[in-house]
Amino acid sequence: MGPLLYVCDLIVYIGIFGIVSLSLNLEFGFAGLANFGKVAFFLIGAYTYALLSQIGLPFYLCLIAGALISAIFGLLISLPALRLRSDYLAIAVLAFGEILRLIMKSEKWLAGGNWGIAVSPIFPWMGSHLIYRLENIALVGFCLVICFLVVQLLANSPYGRAMRAIREDEVAAEALGKDRAKFKAQALMLGSAMAGVAGGLYAQYLQYALPGMFMPMITFTVWIMVLLGGPANNWGALLGAALVQIFDRGTNIAKDYFTLPIDPSNLQYILFGVLIILVLLYRPQGLLKESKVKTKALRLAHNGRSAVKNKGSQ
Amino acid sequence: MAINWAQVLFNSAITGSLYLVAAVGLTLTYGLSKFPNFAHAEFITLGAFIGYLVAEQLGLGWPLALLVAFLFNGLLGVLCYRGIFQPLAKRGSSIIHLMVASIALGFILRHSIGAIWTWKPLYFTATWSAFDFGPLRISGLWLWLIFAALALSVAMHLLLMNTKIGKAIRATSSNPELALASGINVNRVIWITWFIGAGLAAVAGIFRGADTQIWPMTGWDIILPIFAVVILGGIGNFYGAIAAAFIIGLAENIGVVGLIALGLSTQYRIGIVFLILIITLIVKPQGLAMLFRRA
Repeated sequence: MGPLLYVCDLIVYIGIFGIVSLSLNLEFGFAGLANFGKVAFFLIGAYTYALLSQIGLPFYLCLIAGALISAIFGLLISLPALRLRSDYLAIAVLAFGEILRLIMKSEKWLAGGNWGIAVSPIFPWMGSHLIYRLENIALVGFCLVICFLVVQLLANSPYGRAMRAIREDEVAAEALGKDRAKFKAQALMLGSAMAGVAGGLYAQYLQYALPGMFMPMITFTVWIMVLLGGPANNWGALLGAALVQIFDRGTNIAKDYFTLPIDPSNLQYILFGVLIILVLLYRPQGLLKESKVKTKALRLAHNGRSAVKNKGSQ
Repeated sequence: MAINWAQVLFNSAITGSLYLVAAVGLTLTYGLSKFPNFAHAEFITLGAFIGYLVAEQLGLGWPLALLVAFLFNGLLGVLCYRGIFQPLAKRGSSIIHLMVASIALGFILRHSIGAIWTWKPLYFTATWSAFDFGPLRISGLWLWLIFAALALSVAMHLLLMNTKIGKAIRATSSNPELALASGINVNRVIWITWFIGAGLAAVAGIFRGADTQIWPMTGWDIILPIFAVVILGGIGNFYGAIAAAFIIGLAENIGVVGLIALGLSTQYRIGIVFLILIITLIVKPQGLAMLFRRA
């Protein structure tokens, strides 16, 4: 693979995982939910896309269906656990991801079992790898921008502020009349829908979906992206996605040039683990701090204060 | 097809014994440190590999393998707690951060194991004599496993009820502030619990490894039933865990009979465990805890 193709490939991956990272940032960063089964919703999106495109639905319908089904599952699995402490949700969702992968592995009639299922690409073959990748960059970029705008608007809306309030103090937020279970369920639904879209994009880009693509490691890498970039900061989530993907590629390239004492595929995850513990210990706010809330009222108050100050100095 | 129910019951006892030995450490540390240690799966795996190292690679035999793995794992458990989780808890990290840190620790351990012993499955070479007892097919290994679970239950009961440290563990588990105010060295209590918990995980790992195979996912393969045992039994509740381990062992083995009858893959036995977990969360998230004395 030429360097240009390689960079294009990397950009597609950053885009797809950027969407997943944004979705986890919405759930964990803003709503304070421990979704340890992110990969489950990624899987649902990918397989929904694969199965629906096989019966000939157009790609946008497949993506939307993936998002919807993913959202429904997000709601269903979270219902029993949402009113409980966050560790219950973490365990329930983690278990859900493992079960789902097991089902895909065991049910050969559904999606080919262990060998997976072929997915027809959206873009017809134009005789060039570069064009194929550029088309995918455009598609993934489009979805990423939409997702980013949605979460960014949400973060600064009254809705997003209520979400942060619930994250900080459930009891106080409840006393102010915010239904915490409802907010959490909605955050999980939206987050799962985004992960579903990303899964669909992933399957169509790779042109296949198989259970081995959806190991719990995926969930963990997305957590690194969010924690490293900065929870509750959407730019941070994107930065984290880019850094982790580049690091991932970097170790893969390095193995061709250096002889390492440890097998690089193992070394990579050891380093990821060490990195995440160091971040949690020494910089739990991540690289970028939580974004401040921007509202009209705050801006007015700020302008008013500076106006008063200016008057005073005259 | 005639179903050998005696064998199903016996298999349930084996499964339950394994889950009990594996889950006791997790439920105790979960109850004391107030977060689920996902790296417990890797403590199990590591125990299996240390056992393999001592019994097979060094050829020193089973009893020594169990002892060395127990001590090594116990020390590692304490080190991990002191090095990672205690500083995190001290700086006021949320439960989510503690859980993520434990997953990160799990990755470090799992892939370090993969780097040292590779990802190819390993097997204990010792063969266990299998014999028929009435309608039952029994292997020596299984008898040892059931014996280990029994011995563990009695030993833990005596430890928790009759010793000073056991009382301190129960006191700290139910009210850390009051325990501290009563002059209990809470940190030492937590370290001892992590030592015992990680050590018992090693014992479970060796038995699981001897029964199936040893590879870097040995522990992760059974993490769901272990969590189901912990939650069904009530977090931090040792007596609840005993009951839950055998309930889940029974449900799994009866479930396998049902799955075969329905023509489904027996891999779905994990799905039955998952159902129990979800139903517990919906109906009674505190598990069986109220049936038992808090311990």
